[in-house]
Amino acid sequence: MVGRHGDFMHMLREHGYSFDPLHVAQTQGASSQSGHHVQHSMMTQGTTVLAFKYQDGVIVGGDRRATAGMTVMYDRTDKVLELDRFCVMAIAGVPATAFEMARILEHSFKYYRRSQLQDLSFEGKLRALTKLLKENAPAAIAGTGTVAPVFAGFDLDAQEGKIFFYDILGAEFEGVDYAVSGSGSPTIRGILHYLHRWGQTPLYQLPEEDAIVLLMRLLSSAAEFDAATGGINYEANLFPIVKRISSNGVEPIAPERLQTLCASQVMRYV
Amino acid sequence: MYEEPYRWIEAVGNRRQYLDEQFKQGSPVVALSCDEGIVLVSASRGTPKLYEIYDRIALGGMGHPADLEKLRFQLLDMAHLEGFTRSPSDVTGARLLKNGLAPTVKQAFEEIFKAPFIAKILLAELGATREKDRFLTIDYDGTFEETNICSLLAGTRAIHTPLFDELRNRIGASVPSLKEGIDMAVRVWAKGSLLHTTISSDANSHEIPAEGQEKGESMPDFDDEDVQRHARQQFADVTLECSLIDRRLSGSSKYRVLSDDEVTRLLPPALQPVR
Repeated sequence: MVGRHGDFMHMLREHGYSFDPLHVAQTQGASSQSGHHVQHSMMTQGTTVLAFKYQDGVIVGGDRRATAGMTVMYDRTDKVLELDRFCVMAIAGVPATAFEMARILEHSFKYYRRSQLQDLSFEGKLRALTKLLKENAPAAIAGTGTVAPVFAGFDLDAQEGKIFFYDILGAEFEGVDYAVSGSGSPTIRGILHYLHRWGQTPLYQLPEEDAIVLLMRLLSSAAEFDAATGGINYEANLFPIVKRISSNGVEPIAPERLQTLCASQVMRYV
Repeated sequence: MYEEPYRWIEAVGNRRQYLDEQFKQGSPVVALSCDEGIVLVSASRGTPKLYEIYDRIALGGMGHPADLEKLRFQLLDMAHLEGFTRSPSDVTGARLLKNGLAPTVKQAFEEIFKAPFIAKILLAELGATREKDRFLTIDYDGTFEETNICSLLAGTRAIHTPLFDELRNRIGASVPSLKEGIDMAVRVWAKGSLLHTTISSDANSHEIPAEGQEKGESMPDFDDEDVQRHARQQFADVTLECSLIDRRLSGSSKYRVLSDDEVTRLLPPALQPVR
């Protein structure tokens, strides 16, 4: 019986939808016609997303710029996608594939919960993302579907926030205290390492406000050295997407609050 | 032998009789639109009767649990497939029930060599505003009905009609709060359950007709105290199920099951279970 195991992908396939072969066909077609892969300047990518643990759970953020080569495609992208009430996927890479993955996962988790009358376990959710990335590997290698996400959520069984990051082929790594991804990430990875190791307070002990301020400062730093990262544009009232994940679930931080904190604690340092 | 039209009609008639009998022991399902969202009420012994179907759609069912599961899965598959391939806003209760479920149920009912679905289903759909809240019910023969404001499932048509009138009257032109909504729904549920109990015990004692007893044409009348007493007794024995498609919830999924504590807090003392 279709869907009896709560497997949404299985049900989709039964109805003729395919996630992977489309990409393979597309990339194979592109290679044979032009003799090389689709030029990277044509694809929308480049970004900075990050997540770190703070005292109530996990804080996740992402800049809002989408670029294709030297062109800024869009400046108000939301790259921190809510998959359900307790987890998010922060995306770096080709948005077309990443958004599709997020859509599949969102529906998969809902379908599982509603059909099996229980939430998919935290490990089950991670596995679902790994599976998608693995199926997407040919497109990732070709460059047309490269996605390297950060997965963050609150594990209700363990009562703690958790962070995972992936390489483009779907290898899963647990980022114990923090994880970063995207073209701007090398800059802030070093800062996070330094702060976590030698800072006055370990990241996981930071109160919410300090965590939000740190996140905005980090994204500003990434934007300073990476043209593909949007950072903060205070004049245009453009702030990063910031979400906190605690035992209350995923809650976006309102732009008004970001604006206030930015004015008092971020701008004066820039 | 069913090739002859008369035989077929007779067989379908027998089927109705058989199916009506199956629902007499069932627990009614009551749903109504209130300020906070749509509240659904039923009672169960172990197997739940209220389910989440999609972001803004909930299901209440009566009948055989295995049949309900089969139909529930059909609805879930249709809703999620549509929501994924088109958009969540294209998933509507009316399409799910009228185009999706009704033909399946009707066909099963009329194929007299196969077993029919022993199931009645209510779909409640939260609209953008209270005026746009919708309720759909489907009977075991595939006939469906669409209403706004409120809806319910009951064992037989004879019980359904007075209960539905009562529910409508209780709501009137008011916009009930969640607390008021639960109070109304539980009272109507309890009255329905009392009618079920009375009628099936009448039917059981039918072989030895009591003096002056007429064959269930008019519904017995119960006052508030009878209904409250029945509710209190029932809730000591069965689990009161209460869920809400919550207008106030952020995020796309609006359905939530009210916790025992929440129900206890919302239920008036007169309807609290006897412990």
